[in-house]
Amino acid sequence: MDLMQERWTTPVVERPAVERAAWRFREILALPEVGERFERVRRWFHLRESTYDVTNRCNLRCDGCYYYEGEKQFARETPDPTAWRELLDAERARGITYVVLAGAEPALVPDVLQACHDAIPLGCVATNGVLPVPGSIGYRMHVSVWGDDATSARVRGMPGMLRRQLEVWRGDPRAVFVYTFTRENIDQADDVVATLAAADAKVTFNMFSAPVGYAGPLRHDAASLAATRARMLELLDRHPRHVLFSPYSAVAHTQPLGLHDLFGCSYPRCNPSTFIGLGRSFRQYRTDLTWDRQVSCCVPDTDCADCRHYASGSAVVTARMHRHASHPDTFRAWLDYVDTYLAVWVAGYEKGANLCRQPPAPPRAVGEEERS
Amino acid sequence: MASNAGAMDLRTLDDRGLELRIAEILISELKLEDVTADTFDVGLDLVDELGIDSMDLTTVALVLQDVFRVAIDEDDYPRLKSVRAIREYIRSKIAGA
Ligand code: SF4
Repeated sequence: MDLMQERWTTPVVERPAVERAAWRFREILALPEVGERFERVRRWFHLRESTYDVTNRCNLRCDGCYYYEGEKQFARETPDPTAWRELLDAERARGITYVVLAGAEPALVPDVLQACHDAIPLGCVATNGVLPVPGSIGYRMHVSVWGDDATSARVRGMPGMLRRQLEVWRGDPRAVFVYTFTRENIDQADDVVATLAAADAKVTFNMFSAPVGYAGPLRHDAASLAATRARMLELLDRHPRHVLFSPYSAVAHTQPLGLHDLFGCSYPRCNPSTFIGLGRSFRQYRTDLTWDRQVSCCVPDTDCADCRHYASGSAVVTARMHRHASHPDTFRAWLDYVDTYLAVWVAGYEKGANLCRQPPAPPRAVGEEERS
Repeated sequence: MASNAGAMDLRTLDDRGLELRIAEILISELKLEDVTADTFDVGLDLVDELGIDSMDLTTVALVLQDVFRVAIDEDDYPRLKSVRAIREYIRSKIAGA
């Protein structure tokens, strides 16, 4: 089945058929819905992120957890909120405007989260969602979901996990549930997303991206990438009010090549340039408040060749505006991607209707071979 | 967006004229206040001193492509460090075309 030929009911903005050989940027922006959406997302171009492991403790111990796969878990914890406040004040002073607080489980250190929020109020907490986080901490809350309850019981050691997560987060506008597709849980997404939609919760999609050295059964292959893309598009179609995603997000994250090979990752771990952007300003702090440029990225223990992580894409695809600005279709696709990223990561940002219903393959950089 | 609808004929512009046009684009795209094309410091470092971010630099690069009809490669962004550097870059693209 050709996925792009499927029937669509996802809200999209109809557009006139326009075909020409070469487009100039301002001609693309002159298309009404394109210029309007560009101005909307452009207001957030000032976001400059860094990430922080705020604790090395967790209330769960999930198989394949990124955090406990790597070395960061051995860093000494800094429990003093004052130390975090001082660090985040210094971060703000060097231009950081957006923080991703992760760990192990950040909900175990609410005083640290509060101190961070008091210093930099835009950000996101990556949580397993089992514990509540005080309402005064106005960050986006990304609640991780790894499959249905049977899978969660097996892999995360917690029975009734989705029910518990919904008890904690139902009706909380900060929460976005993040369903991570592995090779083994593709079919389970139907029931999980239906349950979340019935609870009026928002959900977005992530791709399992293998940690360095991992060769286990969760790693995607060609068949699971295609099946995941089909499932993502179906769910986006079926639950348009609750699934924060775009057709192009599905296409970009299920290519045979990972994000680094497709787009050229701009995180310092992959990018030696300190000229501008993430290569210049991004840091990944461990719990002992140290950082190391050589390993700095949003998912430091991930194999770059297999990286399709939603956090990575949010930065890496977004940064590649230039190569998407050659045609209205690719630019609409990019705008949908950025609109999705903002809705997922920025509390209060409302996702617009997707503009591109038949997304093209990710564009290559000038001079590169045709890929995927 | 920058108001100039057509592409510039670079043969009619001397270096100062080209720098003024580049400064106008920067002022328009970055919504800069308290500066005019005439008073824009052509040596001002856009990243280190003006604090331009990567997405705004991309927007500027795309508008420069439109206005001056030169192809700007993403890898060349580090060469767009100031009005003067952009002027030299555009001249070099024209000379190499
Ligand atoms: S793991 Fe992903 S985000 Fe991290 S440096 Fe590699 S490609 Fe970039």
